[in-house]
Amino acid sequence: MIECVHVYKKYKNGVNALYDINFKVEQGEFVYIIGPTGSGKSTLIKLLDGEEIPTKGTVKVVGIDVGKLRHSKVPVYRRNIGVVFQDFKLLPTKTVFENISYALEVINLRKDLIRRRVREVMNLVGLDEKGNSFPRELSGGQQQRVAVARAIANRPKVLIADEPTGNLDPSMSDEIMALLEKINREYGTTILMVTHDLTIVNKHRKRTVVLEHGHIVADLAEGGYVQHDQ
Amino acid sequence: MISRIWRPIKEGFLGVFRHGSMSSSSCIAVTVTLGIISLFLLFSVNVGQFTQGIEQSVEISATVDYSYESAQQEDRISLAIQSIDGVDTVTYYTKDEEFQYYLDSFSSEETKEAFRPFEGENNPMHDTFYVTVKDGQDLEAAATAIQAIEGIDSVNFGGASAVKLMRVLRSIRFAGWFVALLTSLLAVLLISNTIKVTITARADEIAIMRNVGARNGFIRSPFVVEGIIIGALGAIIPVAVMIYLYRSLYEFTGGYLISQMFTLVPPDTILPYAVVILAGIGILVGLLGSFFSVTRYLRWKR
Ligand SMILES: Nc1ncnc2c1ncn2[C@@H]1O[C@H](COP(=O)(O)OP(=O)(O)OP(=O)(O)O)[C@@H](O)[C@H]1O
Ligand SMILES: [Mg+2]
Repeated sequence: MIECVHVYKKYKNGVNALYDINFKVEQGEFVYIIGPTGSGKSTLIKLLDGEEIPTKGTVKVVGIDVGKLRHSKVPVYRRNIGVVFQDFKLLPTKTVFENISYALEVINLRKDLIRRRVREVMNLVGLDEKGNSFPRELSGGQQQRVAVARAIANRPKVLIADEPTGNLDPSMSDEIMALLEKINREYGTTILMVTHDLTIVNKHRKRTVVLEHGHIVADLAEGGYVQHDQ
Repeated sequence: MISRIWRPIKEGFLGVFRHGSMSSSSCIAVTVTLGIISLFLLFSVNVGQFTQGIEQSVEISATVDYSYESAQQEDRISLAIQSIDGVDTVTYYTKDEEFQYYLDSFSSEETKEAFRPFEGENNPMHDTFYVTVKDGQDLEAAATAIQAIEGIDSVNFGGASAVKLMRVLRSIRFAGWFVALLTSLLAVLLISNTIKVTITARADEIAIMRNVGARNGFIRSPFVVEGIIIGALGAIIPVAVMIYLYRSLYEFTGGYLISQMFTLVPPDTILPYAVVILAGIGILVGLLGSFFSVTRYLRWKR
């Protein structure tokens, strides 16, 4: 599903964000990426969703060489994956319903099918009542659930999330985690989640990839965070 | 699919509505500039009309020297005049006709009687050619050329003041068009800049749309519709005010200023064009402004 082979990323300003990243995520896996701030976690996510191009190496997601995509084809590629961000990235002038349906309109789905599917995912994330609300009228946890609903609306095989709980308090974080686990379990969606939050990593144990200074320093199949010397 | 056409239109209207304050600032930019453009537009068209009116009323009279009054000579002169560049019509009157015309300008019979002795052999008039030119600009040149023809006694054309007036009007009209063009360019800049600012505020929105899989054209079309709507909305007030004010002016002045020479263009002739031009500028600028701004922000992020 996801494969990085000898991936390097150096930003234009000369910052080396990633060095020789190699890892593979199989279909249906749920993987955490953790690491201190500035270790390159977001950079990795941006390489996966096509926002950045690797300086060296190949990034493959659902069989597509993401780094080779033309600018105009990037959005089309993104229909294959769902992305959830720390700051939700909802459209402020669209309602909850419209935010989710937008992700389906772009693939030209029939109107009645869009309606049905939006209701379905709104129910899944527990926001049946909020269809006509605007994002600013929702709590952070609710906004993030809308973002998750939008990300999974067209049943992507892969869901990547950059600190989806980063702006949420612990109880809301647990809600989002429960939701992601449900999606992983019920739809078999491959999930790659960046997080800072060791409580989550230790509570919901899963394969964990540890990044430091742009290097993968550990890949723990059994999960749980092992403190080691810096 | 019908939704391909309707979605951008619906979204465009929603966008105008939901970004109320941005939409209104763009609308105001359109309104102000179109107002200024309409002023100069109507002004220039009318000055053009004045100039034309004057040009048409001016003709050159060229009298024939007494010693060149033979039919042969006058045919030669007539041909020579006709071959001058810019000459439109040439009309010939004999000195008797001229004298009669002169007599007819008096209403009292006594005065007419007083002139009887000058009839026939003693007629002081000359055979005369009346010449009109196609373009008032050629008037002086034509007059000079006619004067140079052998057998022409004197040449007269409304005098230097007519030429001067035409020159002044011509440059006023030119200045009017120039200012109208300049304000149009300024309008394009101002409006597209305002739209650019409002779209800059929405650069994040555009990036999010790409994030969730929207192609560039899909993102752009509602913005373009928004631009068109804003351009059209912004044109409503200046168009309405222009129609009202020009009709009022026309009625108030009775259709001309100072004298019949300065006839205003009737509202029904000029306003339809003016409306189309103003609305067209508004809509086109709205369309292009939003198109280019969105396109720029589409490339902002990958
Ligand atoms: N767009 C960019 N241009 C230049 N340098 C960047 C850019 N984005 C990130 N960097 C640099 O790359 C390095 C890795 O950043 P990245 O955002 O991937 O870290 P992170 O692990 O996500 O950190 P955090 O936990 O704080 O989110 C940092 O040194 C950062 O300053
Ligand atoms: Mg980050």
